Amino acid sequence: MLERIRYFIVRALRNMRQWPLLCTASILTMAVALATVATFFLVVVNIEQLAERWTNEIQVIAYLQDVPKQQDLPGLIKELKNYPEVEQVTYVSQAKAMKRFSERLGNDADLLEGVRSDLLPASFELGLKPEFRTTDGIAGVLEKLESSLAVEDLRYGQEWLDRFNNFIGMLRFVGALLGAFLLLAALFIVSNTIKLTLYARRDELEIMALVGATMRFIKVPFLLEGAIQGFIGGVISLLFLSVFFTLVVSRYLGTFWLTPADFNLVFLTLWQQFGLVLAGVVLGALGSFSSLRRFVKI
Amino acid sequence: MIQLFNVTKRYSSDSLALKDLTLQIDKGEFVYVTGASGAGKTTFLRLLYAAEKPTRGQILIDNKNISRFRSHQIPFLRRKIGVVFQDFKLLQSRTVYENVAFALEAQGKKRYEVSKKVYQALKEVGLEHRLQRRPVELSGGEQQRIAIARALVVDPLILLADEPSGNLDQEVTLDIMELFKRANARGTTVLLATHDHSLHRRFPRRVLTLDKGKLIGDQQP
Ligand SMILES: Nc1ncnc2c1ncn2[C@@H]1O[C@H](COP(=O)(O)OP(=O)(O)OP(=O)(O)O)[C@@H](O)[C@H]1O
Ligand SMILES: [Mg+2]
Repeated sequence: MLERIRYFIVRALRNMRQWPLLCTASILTMAVALATVATFFLVVVNIEQLAERWTNEIQVIAYLQDVPKQQDLPGLIKELKNYPEVEQVTYVSQAKAMKRFSERLGNDADLLEGVRSDLLPASFELGLKPEFRTTDGIAGVLEKLESSLAVEDLRYGQEWLDRFNNFIGMLRFVGALLGAFLLLAALFIVSNTIKLTLYARRDELEIMALVGATMRFIKVPFLLEGAIQGFIGGVISLLFLSVFFTLVVSRYLGTFWLTPADFNLVFLTLWQQFGLVLAGVVLGALGSFSSLRRFVKI
Repeated sequence: MIQLFNVTKRYSSDSLALKDLTLQIDKGEFVYVTGASGAGKTTFLRLLYAAEKPTRGQILIDNKNISRFRSHQIPFLRRKIGVVFQDFKLLQSRTVYENVAFALEAQGKKRYEVSKKVYQALKEVGLEHRLQRRPVELSGGEQQRIAIARALVVDPLILLADEPSGNLDQEVTLDIMELFKRANARGTTVLLATHDHSLHRRFPRRVLTLDKGKLIGDQQP
């Protein structure tokens, strides 16, 4: 058994040495395909991550008609917190609203001098749980708010959120479509490159069958070769991506994008890196497999 | 060892390669298959190692009906049959040693077994000093002998040789006939397709004569 495995590996490696050009072509094709798919994946992941940051700021602000009595406040806050959608409730008193406003004005704060501190309405700011930061989630909160509080005005990012949701949905759809297309194209190219290598070795394949080799015996080294090439292709694409990412993207792009100061572009996680290499292995083996069916006949 | 019952082979509706062949070859026989070009000699051999399926009729080898074989059974049939092809079918990118070892490796033999047997087979054909050469560096007769070594290295029950004297001179042909006779003496059934009548004049054996796909003669010496 071990002897057999050793023999298969030796044969796969020798085949690769024997046709270095074709072998390199296969490896590079897969590396380029994998790097392209992974790049696209990174773009989508980063946009989504950025988008998540924006949705953190989604909140519902209820401006109150009347300032609630001090002793009613804890009860009200408790009631609001009981809403399933609500994560956090902040009461902004009239004085606090004024203070914020004057802070915003900065140097021009003295304009407010003499203005009555009850000019601005008191409000509740409701932060929503992540899973409710959606159009439906907000609608639910609004409905409950309107029936239980005397609300003067409600603010929420409804329209913006709708557009944003559409954008993310579209991004995912296009991403999945393009990813599938790229992988298919890669598979097609790989299987054709491998067809070339098989064509170059058709004598060997024919003779093997004629001297009594089983299908499995003939095919396994080629599958192994495809897998090894896919593995190397995967590693190359990973190296290329990480070098490109650390040298170019995170250094230059990261600083001038519309990103918040503390926002870091994400790279592939360890598991995703592993997945990329594994995808190379599967791609290579699958490419071999599909062309072997055409070439090896007994 | 080999039995054919009403075997017909058609490549297409208008080309009849073999017609209604019925014959029997016993274990240990040495048989010439002769006939003009296009008579069906190669087709006959190809049917025996299951490179073609008969259009009609049954072929039994070693008491197994190979016309009913499924593709996964064919390799095991071929392990009992050594074939020397008309065009040798050597791998030009491999050394002499590797070409002969190929047949054993394809059958999954162990490495130490392989090297011993390959050396013996090459010694048998007188090429043990050319192990690391490549086929292109050798003469036609030497290439022919590598092909024979590869066919014999697996100790086949049956040896099929297609035009083994094709374009070799008399002397080399005699050497090669000697190899076949030795294999036959060890018990291998030998079938030799040729249109060279001088061979069976020199080494009289049973002769099957084909003409346009029909068996028109079966003479014992
Ligand atoms: N693959 C094929 N497809 C179609 N027809 C074929 C094929 N192989 C052989 N034939 C036809 O079958 C007939 C017998 O051919 P075969 O090769 O068996 O003859 P042969 O006796 O070996 O001839 P030669 O002495 O020239 O080698 C010929 O008419 C040939 O044209
Ligand atoms: Mg012929």
